[in-house]
Amino acid sequence: MSGFRHGAGRLGDAQLNFTFDGKPMLARTGDTVASALLANGVEIVGRSFKYHRPRGVTSSGPEETGALVTIGAGGKADPNARATMEPITAGLEVFSQNCFPSPKFDLMSINGLAGAVLPGSLFSAGFYYKTFMWPAALWYKFYEPAIRSAAGMGVPPKVADPDIYDRIQMFCEVAVVGGGSAGLSAALSASQSGLRVVLFDEHNDLGGQLLNEANSEANADLEQWRADTVAALHAASNVRVLTRAVCWGRFDGNMLAAHQSVDGKVRQNYIKVQAKKIIIAAGAIERPLVFGNNDKPNVMLASGARRMLNHYGTATGKMIAVFTNNDSAYQTAFDYSDAGIKVSAVVDSRQYPGQALVDGCKSRGIPLHTQSVVTEAKGWQAVRSIEIADLAANGQSVSNRRRVACDVLAHSGGWTPQVQMASHGGKPPVYDKKIAAFVVGDQAPDTYSVGAAEGENGLLAGVSQAIEAAKAACAELGGTAGSVTAPPQDRDGATNVVPLWSVPAKGKQLVDIQHDVTAADVIQSHREGFVSVEHLKRYTTLGMANDQGRTSNVNALAIMAQCRGISIAEAGTTRFRAPIAPVSMGGFAGREIGKHFKPVRRTPMQEWHEKAGAVFVQAGMYMRPQYYPQAGETIDDAYERETAHVRQKVGICDVTSLGKIEIVGPDAAEFLDRVYINMFSTLKVGKARYGVMLREDGIVYDDGTTSRFAEDRFFMTTTTAKAGPVMAYLERCLEIDWPELKVRVSSVSERWGAMAVAGPDSRATLTAAFPSVDFSNEAFPFMGVVHAEHNGAKMVLLRISFSGEMAYEVYAESEHATDMWQTIIDAGQAYDIVPYGLETLGALRIEKGHVTGAELDGRVTLGDVHMDGMASKKKWFVGKNLKDREGLVHPDRPQLVGLRSVDPRTPISTGSILVTDANASAGADKQGWVSSMTYSPELGSFIALGFLRGGKDRIGERIYAAYPVKGRTVEVEVVSNHFVDPTNERVKG
Amino acid sequence: MIRINCPYCGEREHSEFTYGEDATRTTPDNDAPMEEWNTFVYERDNPAGEHIEYWHHAFGCRAWLKVQRNTLTHDISWVGLPHENPEAES
Repeated sequence: MSGFRHGAGRLGDAQLNFTFDGKPMLARTGDTVASALLANGVEIVGRSFKYHRPRGVTSSGPEETGALVTIGAGGKADPNARATMEPITAGLEVFSQNCFPSPKFDLMSINGLAGAVLPGSLFSAGFYYKTFMWPAALWYKFYEPAIRSAAGMGVPPKVADPDIYDRIQMFCEVAVVGGGSAGLSAALSASQSGLRVVLFDEHNDLGGQLLNEANSEANADLEQWRADTVAALHAASNVRVLTRAVCWGRFDGNMLAAHQSVDGKVRQNYIKVQAKKIIIAAGAIERPLVFGNNDKPNVMLASGARRMLNHYGTATGKMIAVFTNNDSAYQTAFDYSDAGIKVSAVVDSRQYPGQALVDGCKSRGIPLHTQSVVTEAKGWQAVRSIEIADLAANGQSVSNRRRVACDVLAHSGGWTPQVQMASHGGKPPVYDKKIAAFVVGDQAPDTYSVGAAEGENGLLAGVSQAIEAAKAACAELGGTAGSVTAPPQDRDGATNVVPLWSVPAKGKQLVDIQHDVTAADVIQSHREGFVSVEHLKRYTTLGMANDQGRTSNVNALAIMAQCRGISIAEAGTTRFRAPIAPVSMGGFAGREIGKHFKPVRRTPMQEWHEKAGAVFVQAGMYMRPQYYPQAGETIDDAYERETAHVRQKVGICDVTSLGKIEIVGPDAAEFLDRVYINMFSTLKVGKARYGVMLREDGIVYDDGTTSRFAEDRFFMTTTTAKAGPVMAYLERCLEIDWPELKVRVSSVSERWGAMAVAGPDSRATLTAAFPSVDFSNEAFPFMGVVHAEHNGAKMVLLRISFSGEMAYEVYAESEHATDMWQTIIDAGQAYDIVPYGLETLGALRIEKGHVTGAELDGRVTLGDVHMDGMASKKKWFVGKNLKDREGLVHPDRPQLVGLRSVDPRTPISTGSILVTDANASAGADKQGWVSSMTYSPELGSFIALGFLRGGKDRIGERIYAAYPVKGRTVEVEVVSNHFVDPTNERVKG
Repeated sequence: MIRINCPYCGEREHSEFTYGEDATRTTPDNDAPMEEWNTFVYERDNPAGEHIEYWHHAFGCRAWLKVQRNTLTHDISWVGLPHENPEAES
């Protein structure tokens, strides 16, 4: 127990209840989970990723590496949340992670000891790769379960997320990333141009580092400036201020992506902002120092400890010590001291910190140890003292070790500009010796980095940079940015940092605290040859936790550079990728979840099918009746009954999902001659013709029936699956290839409901339904087209057949399609008409040997499906030039055949491999495959379509359809693919 | 997000478009030899830098457009109709 409430900070007085691992606690409005836990004296918040070392709060911001918690329970649980970024709400449930039975006493902490005793132990650098190399059998039995239970973070919820997420599109001229003093100034300056401005900040409160400042009398004017600037932004109608919005990526076309947490019905918004100019004022974060046990609870970044006190009114401890290599951490010591909290030491690795700081310590009675380092944080679970020592001038050794009592160690290794967003623009960061960190080198187009994000830590200097950037950005957009009152006080940003990359010390020295990567791991990585920064990252998993290397990156690169004897600039840095912070999947999904994941298309007759008890199946986006079961029927019973009924009497099937395209213009016939392999210019008005399209490479693309309504007007149908692609293809042909053709195409798929009426009694049924139409063979022959009206509604009748029976397709305007369907059903009662579904449609066409997408799978040629005779020799068409290439006309190609089970009741599995040996092993000669199968009531046997090498000449042969996945082998006879009525008598009847 | 300035609709996000194909190729004559067609169908340059390609405004006006895109930066420097060409190609 070390933290406690101390003063008000900037929080309100209102009290909130929350729980931590079920224990009730009190917080104030404005607290984060981290500040509330500290105020309640919680030191150990969870256990670490691999070693199960106790971890506590290490910061006050997005750089948090220690306090990862699960927020909420059940479906609302949000694992691995950074306690520093989660506001406390009334009744919030917070849980510790990766510990059993409790964070204070954890059984798995033995991992850490093993790591210390055994070199190259289970969890040292590269352990993923090394364990993978051991006998594979052991991986599943031992390593994976062992590692999974030992390593890890929070547990993902096992139930669906009940919350709502939204996606929002925004447009603006100037986007400002970061709401610190620079970001606020840039936004306010830009807003005066009248251009649209969007400001993002991931915190609840705007102000950035200003919130670290004491809320005191001496700072009242600075606090007022912050409040005034924020108020002015909120008041400006052209400014959108987005707080709790983490901007996590920058993409092509100046698009910024952000996730914003909101209170209310929606949990988060995923916001895409399209900006013309981007000002990055993302600030800098403090780096930790690398010394012994630097991950122990109550070792905190100095700026984090300072904000806890000054903003959240939470003292992190009763006696604090400060360890630094730069000027900025002194203010933490001074603020704690001024607040009446004992500061037991300031330990500075530099020889001389400057007179002002020396005097500042002296006047407050703070013991100052220069040219000294902290070698180790001590304490059973959290810090209770530190060991400090004198640092040799060469930095390689220490002497004069001594103990200093404290319960919090605040440390600072310098400041790292937040260059991730700027570097998404494509430019690599460059090393800046002055601040010992990477900064943005060349700016990406339309981007301005300002303030601490650009390495400028001074308050007034950063603000002035920001205003300059706003003016430049607005000027390029033709606007005039205004001036902004400068902050009334300055904060000198010079940190005078002297790099101290690691301390000669005992104990684990963590570099990446979240991923338990130590300085020793970096050195081991070097020893084992993984020396480039990219290899280092992957070998040790450094920077791969949810802080994405914010605190660890520079330290690790510096240690590696030291090992290699090169400069940090030469070692370079890894590039940053989006997302720079953890983001919820819910935001990406937005409202498009469950049934809204993709649209469902329904035909006009949907309700009728539902009432008729149809079982539906998704075909593309369409819901189509699969079969219409009668009482007690299985799917097999139903389709066998429906199929037999169509062959004997009459059935009706909804075929609305076919693609329908109207092709109009004086050159329409010429156009079709070019896209189809067969002639359409010779097609007479009032007739339909089956057509096949090839791709440019000579492979079959799609097929369908096209009717000629008038000299210059055709009506094309495509397969359901290709309706969209064929439409786009026709448009491409007309706009790009043949702009000289006077033709227009338009998709009329939605305009027409379509139904197929098939069976020997189809003519009688339709004659009864539509007495005004002459259905006689003479007036309406096979492949004929008739326009008619029924009850004032238009319809088109085509005498075409997919089933092989006498059949008609009726196209009715969508709004009248159900009436038309019902009319046919009513008229068909006399002939026992039945509706049939997709299963029966498939069974009928397989019996007839017609191909669909299962056969036309993008690999077959005309010859493969016996259609080479259809290709016109009198004209050019797409695919003609390449269709006769040697490999495409080879007689040994797999060709379409029919297959019939030798034992009629044995099904043939779709996807089976065709072989000649019943006991074929995996290496057997594969001669083809089965593409579709059905039971044929007409033949009383299971039948299939498939492709067999040289199949045309193998009719009568007996081979085997093998399905090794299920260990099934079926003897089949090779037959013609036309099982039923091969001479086409029925369709013409 | 790539943004494409459709001559008919104005600037739109690329999710409204589908990529079509390389627009730098010339279709051979109908009676050109098979070899020429083979080259046309199968061989493509893969330039690092400026490239001209066809895009389809599938979820917009459904026009086919010619687009000059830098394959390294995704910058779109020119958009026109299929029969047009950017004035100065670099």
